[in-house]
Amino acid sequence: MDLVAGRTFAEERRPIRHVDPILLLVTAALVVIGLVLIYSATNQTLRQDQLDPFDRVNKQVITMILGIVLLLVIATFDYRFFKVYSGFIFGGSLFLLLLVHVPGLSSSSGGTSNYINIPGATLLQLSPSEFAKVGLLVLLAGMLSELRSPVPTVQDLVRILGVVLLTVGLVFINVEIGTVIVLAAITVGVLVVAGTRAKHLLLLAASAILMIFLAFQLGVIKDYQVERLRAFLDTSNTSADARYNLEQSEIAVGSGGMFGRGYLNGTQTNLDYVPEQHTDFIFTVVGEEFGFTGAMFVLGLFALLLWRAIRIAYLSKDPFGTYAAVGIASMFAIQIFVNVGMVVGIMPITGIPLPFLSYGGSAMLVNFIAVGMLLSIHMRRFK
Amino acid sequence: MERASSRLKVLAVLVAFMFAALTARLWFLQVLAVEQNRTAALNNSVRIAETDALRGTIKDAKGRELVTNRLSLEVRVRKDQLGPNAEQVLLDLADLLDVPVKAITQALQDKRYFEYQPKPVAEFVSERAAFFLQEHRAEFPGVSVVPTSVRDYPWATAHHAPEFAAHALGYLGQIQGAELESPRFRGYGQNDLVGRSGLEQVYERYLRGTKGAQKYIVNSDGETIRELGQQPATPGDDLVLALDAKVQQAAEEELSAGIERARTVVDQSSGTYLKADGGAVIVLDAQTSGVVALASWPAFDPAWFVKGLTPEQNAYLFGNNKLAPSLNKVTQQIYAPGSTFKPFVALAAVKEGLATLGGYYPCPAEYVVPGDTSGASFSNWNPVDRGSISIAQSLKESCDTVYYGFGTRFFFDWRDHQLGTNSEPFQRDVRQWGFGGPTGVDLPAEASGLVPDAQFMLDHPELYPDGPIPGVNILLSIGSGEMRATPMQLATAYLALANGGKVCRPHLVDHIENAAGDTVKQIGSRCYSQLPYTQAQLDYIVQDGLAQVTSGGTAALAFSGFPLGQIPVAGKTGTSERPPFQDTSWFAAIVPAYQPKYVVIAMVEQGGFGSTTAAPIVRHVIERIYGLDVSGPVSGGSQD
Repeated sequence: MDLVAGRTFAEERRPIRHVDPILLLVTAALVVIGLVLIYSATNQTLRQDQLDPFDRVNKQVITMILGIVLLLVIATFDYRFFKVYSGFIFGGSLFLLLLVHVPGLSSSSGGTSNYINIPGATLLQLSPSEFAKVGLLVLLAGMLSELRSPVPTVQDLVRILGVVLLTVGLVFINVEIGTVIVLAAITVGVLVVAGTRAKHLLLLAASAILMIFLAFQLGVIKDYQVERLRAFLDTSNTSADARYNLEQSEIAVGSGGMFGRGYLNGTQTNLDYVPEQHTDFIFTVVGEEFGFTGAMFVLGLFALLLWRAIRIAYLSKDPFGTYAAVGIASMFAIQIFVNVGMVVGIMPITGIPLPFLSYGGSAMLVNFIAVGMLLSIHMRRFK
Repeated sequence: MERASSRLKVLAVLVAFMFAALTARLWFLQVLAVEQNRTAALNNSVRIAETDALRGTIKDAKGRELVTNRLSLEVRVRKDQLGPNAEQVLLDLADLLDVPVKAITQALQDKRYFEYQPKPVAEFVSERAAFFLQEHRAEFPGVSVVPTSVRDYPWATAHHAPEFAAHALGYLGQIQGAELESPRFRGYGQNDLVGRSGLEQVYERYLRGTKGAQKYIVNSDGETIRELGQQPATPGDDLVLALDAKVQQAAEEELSAGIERARTVVDQSSGTYLKADGGAVIVLDAQTSGVVALASWPAFDPAWFVKGLTPEQNAYLFGNNKLAPSLNKVTQQIYAPGSTFKPFVALAAVKEGLATLGGYYPCPAEYVVPGDTSGASFSNWNPVDRGSISIAQSLKESCDTVYYGFGTRFFFDWRDHQLGTNSEPFQRDVRQWGFGGPTGVDLPAEASGLVPDAQFMLDHPELYPDGPIPGVNILLSIGSGEMRATPMQLATAYLALANGGKVCRPHLVDHIENAAGDTVKQIGSRCYSQLPYTQAQLDYIVQDGLAQVTSGGTAALAFSGFPLGQIPVAGKTGTSERPPFQDTSWFAAIVPAYQPKYVVIAMVEQGGFGSTTAAPIVRHVIERIYGLDVSGPVSGGSQD
């Protein structure tokens, strides 16, 4: 290898030359589709209340711009920065979770306090549990990349379990069953790729089931959540209200048919039958107005996103990069599956937003952070 | 990371399975079960049940509540919830409410309500019955008692004056089918009440408020699946009037007392008692042009409309009743104003150079148009030749023949100068005071009146076969013949005399407040034009002329004993012929004459001379405004 060739080689490996264009394009497409869907889901209601029909869309655009800035900043930094500070990041995200319980800072939605009001900035309502996802996956990736043995030992697993339970516990206090599922998926994904033995995984699964059972018994899970779950499991014997979400979203998606009813023409969408349509049930707009074809297109974009994430995990020469990318892929995958599954009636209703499409600030920012990290890992895969 | 890559494949496969599951399910819902889902979507429908807004209230200038809302306990029945013993429940209900069961079953057939909405079957239910229904809810499934709001008239009730300000306040009525289609009534429902007369009609859009709405989703069976958003109703705005309830009541009482008195007086021309079958009194604030009182006789009780008119009430108000109690005589009926019109003719004559304030004009008993040899003559009300008198004296004595002279000259000047129709100086000058057009007062369906001119005569060849003749102008000069005005127009013209020549829009409402008490709209006075007369000319008319009417002129008898030294009253009597009926009696007053605060007008149909009936009414109203002892019955004498 002569000097010139070496220089060329170094030149070719400069991070800026290794941006993943497909990942960026997919992200951009999803965000734009999200705006289009949010307009359809909210414009009628806003008009009725004599507000600007673009009110929600405009707010989402502002979040989006903030997200792009975050993405660029994170992609510019070497992702190993996250490894060094993983403890701080994790600790910070736990601190935010606790902050929700400081009176005067929190605001509640649906009877539970899930948000932190940033004083002086009403637009920015932070949902700490969203950031807990990033905190946990960074810490897990950090811990697993520093193992002394090729696969995690029991002691490692106990330590990891401790970290996970701490996070899950704090999220549980805030009564967000959806986030618990995402955290669990991140943990499982990272553990599997890190080579955890099958019997250990089974043991973990068994203890998880035990803990869920205990959660029900001790009444940590709120009545409405039990009700929603029962509505999903047994459609004949539940309250009309709980059955309603499920029925209406299925009708909305189903009435879309092969090609949909056309943009802004969905009656279920326009008449506001589906509750929380611009947030958790945004996929019903795709189903009703763009039909099976539209749904396949959106799912296709999500598949591309996951493919790129897994590919980045595979290409990374550094275990931390691999595990972090896997954690991100798991996070996206479980959210897509549970959210769309809930809309089409194959998963119970849990408050999980659909990445990039659902209206909402914190989740959107976390999604951009995650893509920023993926890019950073991809750009520096040679080092 | 060789081993990691194989584990990544596990992850990828897992993800692929997830997507396969979603795709399969979407295929099932959207392709295989599409028809079923489309039908379900069609059968879903949103129903909106509206909640009524509380209608705004009406208060007088001092904050006294004239019109408010009160609760009516309404019994409502949901047919689908009556249970297996529906018939027995309805029979028991009819028994309890003391109404025929047929009335209830008919009410339940009402198509204006959706099945899921409770239908009203009885209103104004006694508290006892309502309490019983609450206590025995189990025996009356699907029956509920709901408080609804209806109009209430607290001031009228407290002062035993059921007809209080009826024409000013107005009443509500059910909206008509055709009106629902019109854009004016967008957002109204089929069983809504709307203002049908008076302020209730004019300020409907302020009083009404905004309805609230409760959205329901119902399935194809009409069952409520879910309640959606709810929007609370916004109450209507409140009207605060310029009207003073105490003056209003004085005006009403003195008007009906004056009418009672007139019926004991024998009419000189017909030889029978005066019929006195209609009348009006107005009090305007000379500074603000606010309507302080507005009375029209005969009147009615607006509370009749709350429970719905009985057939007798309906016949009285809207049947073939010559008294026309539903009409507001102040703004909706037109009359010849008679001699109360003379001040405006005098000023026109001065302006057009026919007379001067220092001049003297003959006042014979009979007037013959110069050059007319047909033997036709116009007589003064007074059979005595008064010689030559000043303009002030002509107003004080109400000499007709002075004005006949002006009317004649106006006609010949116009004809000789060939000014053409629509440019007659006389008609133009008197119209400037507001005659011949609506005053713009905030009351509905105001009449315009008529100032007859050459064009009018050309338009009515059946009456004027020879074209324009001086006779019309001669009679116009004393406010008679074809001349017609509403009492409100006359009040507005006297207001302009009193306030330095400004023609202003009279208004009942001073301002409109929202429920929080903030002013939404200030009505206040709006003056259109400044008349082309000097203050000296106006002062001459009011102070030298009209102020002498009460002290030594045609109304001297009617005002005898009145403390004119403290409260000088400038006034003018009027008596206009209205064959075949008895004369219309008028009196217009500006008080106090030198610093005007009020304009007071009284008019009594078939009331004889102005001094006989109208002048005493005005005197008593003024006495009550100023808190003086009200004099006993006054004999006003028989003077124009």
